Amino acid sequence: MVAFTLPQNSKIDAGKTWPAPHKGDLKEFRIYRWSPDDHRNPRIDTYQVDLKSCGPMVLDALIKIKNEQDATLTFRRSCREGICGSCAMNIDGTNTLACLKAIEDVRGPVKIYPLPHMPVVKDLVPDMTHFYAQHRSIEPWLKTTTPTPQAEWKQSRPDRAKLDGLYECILCACCSTSCPSYWWNGDRYLGPAILLQAYRWLIDSRDEATGERLDNLEDPFRLYRCHTIMNCAKACPKHLNPAKAIAEIKKMMVERRL
Amino acid sequence: MAETHTDQRPLSPHLQIYRPMLTMMMSIVHRITGMALYFGIILLVWWLMAAAISAEYFALTQSVFGHWLGKIVLFGFTWALLHHMLGGLRHLLWDTGHGFKLNLVEWLARLNLALSIILTLALWIGVYWVRGTL
Amino acid sequence: MKTPLGTVFGLGSARTGTEHWWLQRVTAIANIPLVLFLIAFILWHLGADRATLMASVKHPLIAIALALSFLSILWHMRLGMQVVIEDYVHGRWRIVCLLVNAFFTIALGVAALYAILSLSFGA
Repeated sequence: MVAFTLPQNSKIDAGKTWPAPHKGDLKEFRIYRWSPDDHRNPRIDTYQVDLKSCGPMVLDALIKIKNEQDATLTFRRSCREGICGSCAMNIDGTNTLACLKAIEDVRGPVKIYPLPHMPVVKDLVPDMTHFYAQHRSIEPWLKTTTPTPQAEWKQSRPDRAKLDGLYECILCACCSTSCPSYWWNGDRYLGPAILLQAYRWLIDSRDEATGERLDNLEDPFRLYRCHTIMNCAKACPKHLNPAKAIAEIKKMMVERRL
Repeated sequence: MAETHTDQRPLSPHLQIYRPMLTMMMSIVHRITGMALYFGIILLVWWLMAAAISAEYFALTQSVFGHWLGKIVLFGFTWALLHHMLGGLRHLLWDTGHGFKLNLVEWLARLNLALSIILTLALWIGVYWVRGTL
Repeated sequence: MKTPLGTVFGLGSARTGTEHWWLQRVTAIANIPLVLFLIAFILWHLGADRATLMASVKHPLIAIALALSFLSILWHMRLGMQVVIEDYVHGRWRIVCLLVNAFFTIALGVAALYAILSLSFGA
């Protein structure tokens, strides 16, 4: 039976409440903490942040906490502009990029957790190994049999337009980790992010391995664990629609049989 | 490189912390109504079998189903049926590749829920009106 | 100990699944008129006696529509429950549940068909 509850070692205990820095426009942040050196269960630590001396985004608050209050707070971040995908986490109940989530959009305390149903390396850092391996498994590169032309592979404008809404994916994993199907069967189900990328290569007019790609996807688990729950499209911080891409893959599967 | 004890890593919370959204709830209710109908169909087959067996047994079955508890079950069954069918229509629309714009998704979810309640009530009120009794 | 990519590749693609998906949709579409017919049939015969029911089922079109309804519904049910079991039941109960699902739906189907035939051709 699938485990709907957390395993014993993952259940969350109460944590430390850090003192407020000084009087100001204070906002409360409740953040998931765990370290392999803890030798105890994860906990929630509570911090107060003065918004007057903080940037507008949740990432700004996390960096401020790390700089001024608790240097051990660990999270991934890089571009701070919503293009690298590093700071993907669960904020106020939904998966998004911390650098794009405005603090004022959250009513009440800001609850921050790592991406759901993922092994935790430390604090807000999930283990992305399996996710990356799934990406590699769909062979995300151009596959051709025709000899390589002297100049570029030609592609018409309409054909190039088909890649819009697909190539922009930053592989942040907000969508896949928001999908209940991926939670229960993520070992075999590829998940919305990877399936969107698979579709990106399926409809690339320059690619000649469409049939082979479809063969590899046609599996009760790899593709067909998608039940159009739609959490993915709602979570995507780049406003892409993996649910639609997956529906298009399923249409291709039927088309090649009729 | 030291052993990282990957097997001791905790699993990040999921159902426990994810914001419940209408679309997500409608999806699980679609599944729950499906499962309820799966078991409810036994009653339908029982009904037909009872008629095939004998007049006395059929009369007994009709009285069981006519009991107020049986009527509540039948009411729930018709709601589950209508809700599941309307949800099925939403899924069929998505299968054609349409209806994926996020505001349309929300709107259709609300329509599904509202219609299933309205149609169930309309059906039962209609039956009461025609028969004079439930 | 498998590599991450080896774990993802697993036993390879089963190269199946579209048939199941398609049949679920075919039975779903068939169910729309058939279930509406079934609801109407049940409501028409609420509180009816056996003789009335038998007289209805003796009409060939009614009997055929009833048979098609149960066939489509039970097939759709079986496919649907199969997916639910695949989603949630892992471990040794998986095969048991899948078998019970198959036997249960088929048994119900045969029982329904027996009842319809019995009422249609019986006295």
